[in-house]
Amino acid sequence: MLWSRRSVFLGLVVGGPVVLAATLRLAELSGLLFDPRRPRPAGVVVYGMMIWLIYVRFLVPVLGVFYGTSLIADEVDDKTLTYLFTRPIQRSAVIIGKYLAYLVCTILLLLPSVVIVFFLVVPLGQGATIGAMFPTLLTDLGMLAFGLAAYGAVFAFVGARLKRPLVVGLLFALGWEPAVLIAPGYLKRATVAYYLQALVRHEMPQDSPASTLMQIFREIPPVSTSLIGLAVIVGLGLWLAGRTVEVREYVLEQ
Amino acid sequence: MPRGRAWAVITTAGLRTFFARRAFLALLLFSWLPFIVRTVQIYAAANFPQMAFIAPTAETFRQFLGQQDIFVFFITVYVGAGLIANDRRANALQIYLSKPLTRAEYVLGKMAILVTFLLMVTWLPAILLLLVQVSFAGSLAFLKSNLYLFPAITVLSFVEAAMVSAAMLALSSLSNNSRFVGILYAGLIFFSDALFGVLRAVTGESRLSWVSFGNNLAQIGDAIFRVPLRYSTPWPVSLLMVIALVVTSALILERRVRGVEVIA
Amino acid sequence: MTADAGSLDARVREGEAPRAGIVVAEHLSKWYGQIIGLNDVTLSVPPGITGLLGPNGAGKSTLMKMITGQLKPSQGTITVLGERIWGNPALYARIGFCPEQDAFYERMTGLEWVTALVRLNGVDEGEADLLAKRALELVELSDAANKKIGAYSKGMRQRVKMAQALVHDPELIVLDEPLSGMDPIVRRKTIRMIREWGRQGKSIIVSSHILHEIEAMTPNILLISQGRILAEGDVHQIRSLIDEHPHTVHIRAERPRSLAREFLAHDDVLSLEFEDDAVVVETARPDMFYARLTTLAASGELGTIHEVTSPDDNLQAVFQYLVKS
Repeated sequence: MLWSRRSVFLGLVVGGPVVLAATLRLAELSGLLFDPRRPRPAGVVVYGMMIWLIYVRFLVPVLGVFYGTSLIADEVDDKTLTYLFTRPIQRSAVIIGKYLAYLVCTILLLLPSVVIVFFLVVPLGQGATIGAMFPTLLTDLGMLAFGLAAYGAVFAFVGARLKRPLVVGLLFALGWEPAVLIAPGYLKRATVAYYLQALVRHEMPQDSPASTLMQIFREIPPVSTSLIGLAVIVGLGLWLAGRTVEVREYVLEQ
Repeated sequence: MPRGRAWAVITTAGLRTFFARRAFLALLLFSWLPFIVRTVQIYAAANFPQMAFIAPTAETFRQFLGQQDIFVFFITVYVGAGLIANDRRANALQIYLSKPLTRAEYVLGKMAILVTFLLMVTWLPAILLLLVQVSFAGSLAFLKSNLYLFPAITVLSFVEAAMVSAAMLALSSLSNNSRFVGILYAGLIFFSDALFGVLRAVTGESRLSWVSFGNNLAQIGDAIFRVPLRYSTPWPVSLLMVIALVVTSALILERRVRGVEVIA
Repeated sequence: MTADAGSLDARVREGEAPRAGIVVAEHLSKWYGQIIGLNDVTLSVPPGITGLLGPNGAGKSTLMKMITGQLKPSQGTITVLGERIWGNPALYARIGFCPEQDAFYERMTGLEWVTALVRLNGVDEGEADLLAKRALELVELSDAANKKIGAYSKGMRQRVKMAQALVHDPELIVLDEPLSGMDPIVRRKTIRMIREWGRQGKSIIVSSHILHEIEAMTPNILLISQGRILAEGDVHQIRSLIDEHPHTVHIRAERPRSLAREFLAHDDVLSLEFEDDAVVVETARPDMFYARLTTLAASGELGTIHEVTSPDDNLQAVFQYLVKS
């Protein structure tokens, strides 16, 4: 899975933040890009912003959507599912095994990127040092790994259940979640983002009206609630995915 | 079949295929909800003096087109991701190009499918909204004082449809997995937006809005509708980026849409 | 669950021996929405090699998929090796399936692929490697074992598919159109392999839409058409039934009447009709008739023969005829 063309490409996407971080570092050293009349944000602030805007709101959900929905859907499209489902193992074991492979691969793709960005960006400008921020890095790595696990489980179910899981997945991650997080009430608890974003230690950037609204209506559950919530999502997602593949007939187009 | 008309066959077949899908029809219908909301707004403003504060202005139409962007995104992913990718997967490109059909006609035919649906959720409802405004107001005063709206709506809708469909077709030609193409497209849009968000926060300015494809379109739209530009990037720069994207897409399509894959 | 399934369960519970056979279906039906894939099929496949024969769209693949537990019965029951197959993955340790579709993990080598699949049988890495090599040797792919499957020829791809079906030494092997796309030499080799597996005591169900391919493998066939079993038994008996049934041949020719005069001189021609520029002949002995027709066409003495066809559903017509008579 790791060395497939797709993963290599997604690796490049994940390398995008690294390129950005390197560019910012170079820009600071060269004096370009930054207006000397304006106060420069501290490196930790920039790092926090990147965690929010690039990793939490984009890369983690998108990697979850792509790989999670692909677990079964790729095998169906490639017509290789037959080989897996005619072996003496439970079908649910197949999907859980593939899910674990997904998790390992995406963690190996994403987390090194975060580490490199951390070391490039945190020293920018004035602000906390790398040493002081190191525990935050570890928290972020754990948070992102949890996010990948949760989104992956949800979309493993979506991919096992639906014929066109990608659009539904994108609707959920990029449509439903941002919309519901703005709305007051309990609906936001039916999202992964509600629990995941509560684990982010950095201040939420206000880069758009939607972000501002999110900030206004934001409820931050306790860390324990978030961790339990995410664990429940992972467990429920995987159970539903396993159940779906056990009972569903997959008719491969000839 | 007269020469140069083969693309229409591809387009017709493609349109029929998608119209036969209930899920897609639901998506199309859902994308007209903002139109219904705006219609109610226009009706209320026209018939209730106390609601005059919500009367539509030229900017209302600009905002409407901006609001349709999310539906443009989902329709593009739904319709566009598999347009060429599925043909590549089924080895159908060879079959298509063995017919009296040029590569340009093939691409044009595919593009027309996506452009048609995109115009159905941008140009068509916006124009109808203009007509709704005229009919509810009972006079042509609004239209006369905003004559540029019709060409503005048309130009922006077509620019958006052309840019989006060119980019999506180019991505679709890169893979035989439509899901991967959909993710690539989502990546292009949302990652560039996220990138701009970070750069803006770091620099405190919006002159780097050209890194985001969505923002380029928004900037051009503001210029076309003569509303204050939302970013400090000059709109010709945004236009240049859009043109660059279309040209790059065309180059990718030229290289990838072949009957035989050339392995060096 | 249907009453049929209940009655099978009841027989099993009471210790009554179920119908013998490696695959037993009772009133088995499968539909996809409005389309009927299998229609009230009751059969018992004996040990040994059984050919499943039928035209395209007859329901062969549907039956194969139900035998291999990929599809659930809409009605009725199916047991394989005495057990329910749907939702019973443990049974796959005794079954090997070679599907019709040409689908692989193209980036893997043949050895890697077969090894990976046999590992899903719970075999450890070392043993999996040995088993995979042995399976590839059985299908004469040892030389290409370390080549990527993407580089395999069509025949090699079919054989590596068979290797993954055999690798765990199953009792029952199900082969869905295994000879599809093979050249004549590879085809002959594969038929020989299948017969050898049968001699080794394995039960094999092999599907095809070409009678003489099945004939070369086994005398025991199941004939299926439009989701129904039309006949089961010895292929020679079925072949002779087909040969005895009046066989309609449509011949479009330059001089149809001249041809007709020639045909009428032989007693195997039962009737003939004229259409535009063609003559439609009914013959009781098609092999003899075709041999004569070939000679006439080659000599050209009665004019050019443009086209010779026979109605597609003649096989169905045979058995409808037989059922009525």
